[in-house]
Amino acid sequence: MTDVLLTAVPLTPVIGAAAVRFARTPRSVDRLSALVATVTALIALAASVLGAIHDPHGLHGSWWVLDRAGAAFLAVIAVIGWCSAIASGPYLAGEGKGLFSARRARAWYHSAFFLFWAALLALALAKNLGVAWLLIEATTGASALLVAYTGRRNALEAGWKYLVLTTFGLAIALLGIFILFAGLAPHGGGLATLDWRTIARGAPALDHRTALFALVLILVGLAAKIGWAPIHNWLPDAHSQAPPPISALLSGALLPTVMLVAWRLVLTLGHGAAGNLGDHLLLAFGLASLAIAVPFLWRPMPWKRLLAYSSLEHMGILALGIGFASPLATVGVIVHLAGHALAKSLGFYAAIPLQRHYPESAERPPRGLARLSPAVGTAAGVSLATLGGLPPSPLFLSELLILLGGVAAHQIAVVCIAAVLLALGFLGLAHTLIETLAGESHGRPWPVGRTVRLTARLTVAAVIGLLALSVVGYLLVGAHLGPTLMGGVT
Amino acid sequence: MTGALTWGLLATALAAIAVRRRSTAIVLVALQSVGLGVYALGNGHHSSRALAVAAAIFTVKAVALPALLLLTVRGAPKRRLLANESPALPRLIAALAAGLAIEQLIPSFGVTDPGIEHAAVGMLALGIGIAVVRRAVMFQALGFLIAENGIYLAGLSLPGGLPGFIELGLAFDLVVTLSVAAAFATKIHETLGSGDTSVLDALRD
Repeated sequence: MTDVLLTAVPLTPVIGAAAVRFARTPRSVDRLSALVATVTALIALAASVLGAIHDPHGLHGSWWVLDRAGAAFLAVIAVIGWCSAIASGPYLAGEGKGLFSARRARAWYHSAFFLFWAALLALALAKNLGVAWLLIEATTGASALLVAYTGRRNALEAGWKYLVLTTFGLAIALLGIFILFAGLAPHGGGLATLDWRTIARGAPALDHRTALFALVLILVGLAAKIGWAPIHNWLPDAHSQAPPPISALLSGALLPTVMLVAWRLVLTLGHGAAGNLGDHLLLAFGLASLAIAVPFLWRPMPWKRLLAYSSLEHMGILALGIGFASPLATVGVIVHLAGHALAKSLGFYAAIPLQRHYPESAERPPRGLARLSPAVGTAAGVSLATLGGLPPSPLFLSELLILLGGVAAHQIAVVCIAAVLLALGFLGLAHTLIETLAGESHGRPWPVGRTVRLTARLTVAAVIGLLALSVVGYLLVGAHLGPTLMGGVT
Repeated sequence: MTGALTWGLLATALAAIAVRRRSTAIVLVALQSVGLGVYALGNGHHSSRALAVAAAIFTVKAVALPALLLLTVRGAPKRRLLANESPALPRLIAALAAGLAIEQLIPSFGVTDPGIEHAAVGMLALGIGIAVVRRAVMFQALGFLIAENGIYLAGLSLPGGLPGFIELGLAFDLVVTLSVAAAFATKIHETLGSGDTSVLDALRD
């Protein structure tokens, strides 16, 4: 029964991807898409509840593993995916011909969207590193087309850059996987050689150099896909040029889910023959990402580009949390993952009415949103305040937990540098928040159309979710959750 | 046999860096894939399933993908030379230097034949090198195919070979990635009137 449920999680959107090709009118495509998205999200949420309440060693099946960390990631992907599917209809209503012919553009969009979402859902569940690699590559194919969906010159540039950089990065990761495979099975082996648990069991006996090179190559390759600095060049371009619902899915779900694979790798391989190299690499990626992102948070930037650099900052924070490898930091990572996904996706959904009523926002930062549209202004304000880590945002708590986790791990120097960078990032975003809401603006207030109403509803849902997450975060601190989160792979 | 094969594979990768025409480069990479296919079919793991997998991958890499790329090139004729492309010799030297440096950096990783290891890493490095030194969209896509051929060579040479699922998954992945790359190549050509990626430089901070 569990096997059927877990297999249905990625299978439902795959069926949806095929089904939308048969819908005849844009309205029927949207309705079918909403139905498939709702069913998918419900199944995925049911599965994640199952994973959360099950014993700490996780559930294991034919191709999947479901532990508490996996359950948290699955829930985040389900929620962000559903919101993006619902937001796609109003977004597409204002778009014409793009990468695809106008007549079939909407069906193509939804097909690619569902395939992308399916690969993400499966990725959070994959029990095998080789399969996880294939799924990450699958996300690239579908999402590159979606990034370039508008067919505009800048979108093509962003999509192409994303495709080239991430596929070459993943090619390097693949070489690392083969090296690991050769080390684990010197006389030959099957697919199960790359199961997370097999890697964890075999890692202590691995030759030191083999483990080292495999770990470095795989992590560097995954870093290209996660967008960790200094291999982040595609990230600001792709996030700023993609349709807003896709940007939300890229930032809130794709980056952290690939990070889950990196996390599992470090847990299974990084503490064996490779020493603590995995943790050190993650700390280096984390600090580099923070250091590169923060100066951009001080610059006046177009709305979505600002959010993209904020994603780089938050991926850096998550890398630090994983690299500290202490129970407090681990709880911080889970809270941060969910809080960032909610706040960032709300920011991207606010970009739908923003682009519609204020097309210049693609080139310059928006100003005076509180006067132009209180609903969009509220969404932008909630998003930026949360991303900045303003209390009672769950990101305030999670950043605090991650830093305290770093202190517990005796990484005082890293914690000090990170704290300074986070404070600078906060100040940059606070300045942007004031300008965005109360800066000087021209023109008449925007009419309350479909996209503004959608943004208002999503804002209410996000605020409730963020407040609930803050409460859950405080409760989790004393729950000794950290060591059992990854019970399914170690 | 192995020595001739690895030198042949590397020579086709180097030639793909130097040649001017996209169609010539595609034919060279197809030849490289034929060489790999012959090696895969003649490799020690002779179960009927392994042979079927090798044959399927041979068809995809040596026939289907080159045909797709040639069709894409036919539909997007190059109307002018790429303005920013460096001459053949400097780009060949640059790619060769980068390839040798990377090849020296990566140590032995468990493949039975050290020559195969060197060739695999060299092809990966040359594939990345092609994407760096060649400006045309199609050459960058070919760079990925060459890099992937290098990794596939390493996989074939592992003791016991690769699991069939992974081999087929890689082939499927190649089909998807290169189909998407071909779609991009066509659209970029339509929009810009050229497949020159150096004109795609509007997004900078």
